[in-house]
Amino acid sequence: MYFREELLQTRDLTVASIKSRYRKTWAGFIWVLLNPLMMFGVQSLVFRKFLKLDIPDYFLFLLGGLLPWIFLTTTVQMGTPAFVGHSLLLRSFKINPMVVLSAQVLDGFINFVASFILILLPLYLFSDRSMISLVLLPIAILPLLIGTLGMTITLSILNVFYRDLNFVMGFLFNLLFFLTPIFYPKQFVPPQYEWMIHLNPINYLIDPFRSVVYDNSFELFFFYFLKSLLVAFGFVLLAYFTWKRRRNEFYRIL
Amino acid sequence: MNSTESSDPILKVKNLKVFFELEHYQNKGLREIFISSLSHPVQFFFKTKELFYALNDVSFELQKGSRLGVLGVNGSGKTTLCRCLSGMMTPQFGEIDTKAEIRAIFDSGTGVMPELTGRENAYLLARLFFPKSNDIETIVNEAIEFSELGHFIDVPFKKYSKGMQSRLMLSLISSKTTDILILDEVFDGADMFFKTKLASRMMRFIESAGATIFVSHSIEQIREVCNQLLVLNQGKVHFFGDIEEGIKNYINLKS
Repeated sequence: MYFREELLQTRDLTVASIKSRYRKTWAGFIWVLLNPLMMFGVQSLVFRKFLKLDIPDYFLFLLGGLLPWIFLTTTVQMGTPAFVGHSLLLRSFKINPMVVLSAQVLDGFINFVASFILILLPLYLFSDRSMISLVLLPIAILPLLIGTLGMTITLSILNVFYRDLNFVMGFLFNLLFFLTPIFYPKQFVPPQYEWMIHLNPINYLIDPFRSVVYDNSFELFFFYFLKSLLVAFGFVLLAYFTWKRRRNEFYRIL
Repeated sequence: MNSTESSDPILKVKNLKVFFELEHYQNKGLREIFISSLSHPVQFFFKTKELFYALNDVSFELQKGSRLGVLGVNGSGKTTLCRCLSGMMTPQFGEIDTKAEIRAIFDSGTGVMPELTGRENAYLLARLFFPKSNDIETIVNEAIEFSELGHFIDVPFKKYSKGMQSRLMLSLISSKTTDILILDEVFDGADMFFKTKLASRMMRFIESAGATIFVSHSIEQIREVCNQLLVLNQGKVHFFGDIEEGIKNYINLKS
């Protein structure tokens, strides 16, 4: 009913939060690039040189999984405290709380796009892969964006009730990182442990992006894309029902 | 002229009920819950949930031109009622029947991004508070001028005093009229000097609205602003009607 208005609000809030972060110093932006670069550097050293994983174009393979992972985890961890952080605003008059959170997620998404353009794209151009598959990229990141939004909304609502949720999430992400095929390919997982990977929803959200930058196979991409769309939709439903059920108490406790 | 139309209430509230389950998470973190689930497993898993009624069967009607004061001790359901009317909360039972545009304000010291300037915050607030408005520029400029914040308007919002913050926000929200206006204890923050100048603007704002619901702890403010009174007690309507009679009721209730 207010969809157009809420889009405008989201846009303005996103711009404002970027402005407020980088007003004093641009150094923050360097961190946005430095964080994935350092993770990428250490991991490619350890897994390629120390453990000698033999995977062609390992740089592309690793970045294809790492960048979406960093986007998802940092956005969730920045967004989880967002409702509590904006409690005065949300309590003061009626605005759709999802506007505040969408702005937070978009803010993280812009960092993701920046790190893609500045880190992954140059490597991609130096590889001998076709440029055409990059056309699929905007579609590939859609489920990732939507799924991250749904996850962040759900956790941010729950964080109003359980204020140490973000601490727990940090711990969980540390565990999940190893159970997500990011630095190793799925094919390396022995069949009896495959269920662990299948149960991990983040795995599905990352797949389409990596498929575009690494696999270069349209059939595979399409398959991954449909799956990730389902997972993303699941997270949106989860967010919707969490909000529906907790809405009144949300405002009481906030 | 159609006589029934003018006497039709602008807002009908019927049998409103809002209750909360008092659960174990109240003010606890996940770690504490985890620990208590291990140390007192029986109590933890078989604890009965208590229901707390914030609103219990609240009904009333609001006529056009009505300025309804709402009195009640803390926890009597005043804010829950306003949050339901504003559309923030959804009641479990009952109906809110209105076609009017409702605008509700619960706090006056709100900035959106404390690191940004007062002016930038004013724009954001205007965008959030008047989502359908096309003349945000005009609204913001007029409000900034009225607020008399001078060069402070380009200083980060977090450096404002509480009084300056409410001055800016109240100037802003009072620049556009609405069908039903809900003010929930918003005058507590504004500093004394400004109160007189702001008060006359707020009075004009309240009078231009189709109807007003005004929550306050101050009987003086209620006398000054309202022409009707609702007294809530433990989530129920204790009194609805004439101001002076209602105030007597409220004072008896408290003593």
